[in-house]
Amino acid sequence: MLKYLMKRSGIYLVMIFLTTSAGYFLAVSSLKPAVLEQEKIPRPTPEQVAASFRGLGLDPAKNAWERYVDWLGNIVTHWDWGRSPNGASVNAEFGDRVLVSTRLFIASIILTLIIGVALGVYSAARQYKFQDRVITSYSYLVHILPAPIAYFLVQLGAISVNEAVGQRIFFVTGISTPGIDPGWPAFVDLVAHYAVPTFAMTIFGWAGYQIAQRQYLLDNVNADFVRTARAKGLTRNQAIRRHALRVSFIPVAQSIAFTIPAIFTGGFFAEAIFAWPGIGLWSIQSIGLQDVNVATATLAYGSVIFAIGAILADFATTLVDPRVRVQ
Amino acid sequence: MTNIIDPIAEIDESRVSDGQDVVIAKSRIIFRRFMRNRTAVAGLFVFLALFLFSLVGGFLTPWNKDTIDPYNIGMGPSPDHFLGTSQAGIDLLALIVEGTRISIFIGLIVGGVSVLVSAVYGCTMAFFGGKVDAIMLFILEALIMMPAILVVAVATSGSGGLKNLPSWLLLIVVLLFFSWMGTARLVRSLSMSLMQRDYVKAAKYMGVPSRRIVWRHLVPNIGSLLVLDFTRGITGAVLAEVAFSFIGIGIKLPDVSLGVLIGQATGQVSSFPWMFWVPLTVMFLLTGSLAMMNDGLRDAFDPSSSSIGRAKRTAVRTVKKTTK
Repeated sequence: MLKYLMKRSGIYLVMIFLTTSAGYFLAVSSLKPAVLEQEKIPRPTPEQVAASFRGLGLDPAKNAWERYVDWLGNIVTHWDWGRSPNGASVNAEFGDRVLVSTRLFIASIILTLIIGVALGVYSAARQYKFQDRVITSYSYLVHILPAPIAYFLVQLGAISVNEAVGQRIFFVTGISTPGIDPGWPAFVDLVAHYAVPTFAMTIFGWAGYQIAQRQYLLDNVNADFVRTARAKGLTRNQAIRRHALRVSFIPVAQSIAFTIPAIFTGGFFAEAIFAWPGIGLWSIQSIGLQDVNVATATLAYGSVIFAIGAILADFATTLVDPRVRVQ
Repeated sequence: MTNIIDPIAEIDESRVSDGQDVVIAKSRIIFRRFMRNRTAVAGLFVFLALFLFSLVGGFLTPWNKDTIDPYNIGMGPSPDHFLGTSQAGIDLLALIVEGTRISIFIGLIVGGVSVLVSAVYGCTMAFFGGKVDAIMLFILEALIMMPAILVVAVATSGSGGLKNLPSWLLLIVVLLFFSWMGTARLVRSLSMSLMQRDYVKAAKYMGVPSRRIVWRHLVPNIGSLLVLDFTRGITGAVLAEVAFSFIGIGIKLPDVSLGVLIGQATGQVSSFPWMFWVPLTVMFLLTGSLAMMNDGLRDAFDPSSSSIGRAKRTAVRTVKKTTK
């Protein structure tokens, strides 16, 4: 088992390396920070721009391959992911950004997974009944609503709640109020900032899990082994819980791998709409600022998140699927 | 055997034509099964209406998307401008027609081409197996890993050589590049299991050429998946375009799309509500009509479909009698 996970990790490391390298070449060849420098007042001469970029390791005179070799050399030797055109170090800011993003997503990831799977089981057990139809149609409706627009509508809703009550209950943007007292007021402030983004990401996030879980469970509910369990005297709910549920969770566990990067991309939209200065917003802004190193670093982070998700999915499969353990 | 015939649909036909043995073309069976699903037909009509609107809707209004009406700036719907005007005084109807056309165009191209690519890629993997399969799977997973949104952002906001291309073309290329992997994986696993079926083995041992096996046995079986993926691909591409343009990457002005219109209007929802809600409604009609078509299409193309329409009771009973 451990050997298998090690082998998978090795393959993913190679993949991360390749996608990051490809991303670097794409970024280096299309992002030109020198263009933005021309908009500064007073306008610097091209020589000044070139000199300042050379100092930051962003020498525009070098070709893509030479810059790639320099950049990779710095990462391998001192884990230095380079600098932005304005001189800021990527390493210094990276940690804060990841922390903000993780704080934003962790609650909604867990809630989404639990609610989605629970609703999937619930609706499968009541197939074609009223509850099933409501839950499943809601999930299909969410599928045709783009994430940023969904978040924006939630934001509008929260604003109208604030207006209706006449005071600011929910904060629709930002991460915390500056200068708040520590202790209880800080906690209330935290909750008020968390509530809207977490709510939005959760209610628009569980649809995928719900549909998948419902489908897989329905495939198994009428299987022979469940009928045998019923014949041995288990109630319908016991048979579903002990026999069908476990089998039907295997493909769902695997699909988590492919939804974790989706949460990450959904995260771009959430951070952009709710103005949380996390890693997704950073990457979009950095691309607007023609910042090669930040764009590549965030892309590498996205790949790593994906790989972690995929390995976790393999691990979860071995937990719920006894057949894999035997091999 | 030139056609794959659904026995029940065949009976349906023979009952109509007084018990004569008639072989109906597969396309007709598919068409009939599709027409039985009311939701799907309604979806198809909405989609066709929108498509037509995007082509000839320009004749509904004397204005076009470049003309500014200085007397009606930021006005709500009125007899002069059916849907109102933007803050710049441009007729919203003209903008919507243009935006719908670009959105449908992106959806059709990305949906169609990515289905083709994934079918060919997935079948190739399943057909050759071994090393070819391993290498192609590696490339595929590496592509899945790459966050598409960053590549979209880099490609559309870079100031390098890509700047000269129109933004919708760039978006199509990038979306195409990142949209086919999921289906390719599905096609691969599905055709791998199909290759093990007895009828494929039998055809192989009978010396039927591979190309024919693929066409006769594999394509009809994965056809339902591919058709479904075509409509899903359109929806996905339309949604991706809206999402990307909404946060300011993707399509850039002066090109107009539904996403650009919705995104631009978010700042002033309270003062210019029509600028936000009208394009949003059109987007919903577009993606909603495609979603309504999904189930009907899947059923129509499924060779093991149990949709038998009006022939239900009597026909099935006669079959049982005759087979006894």
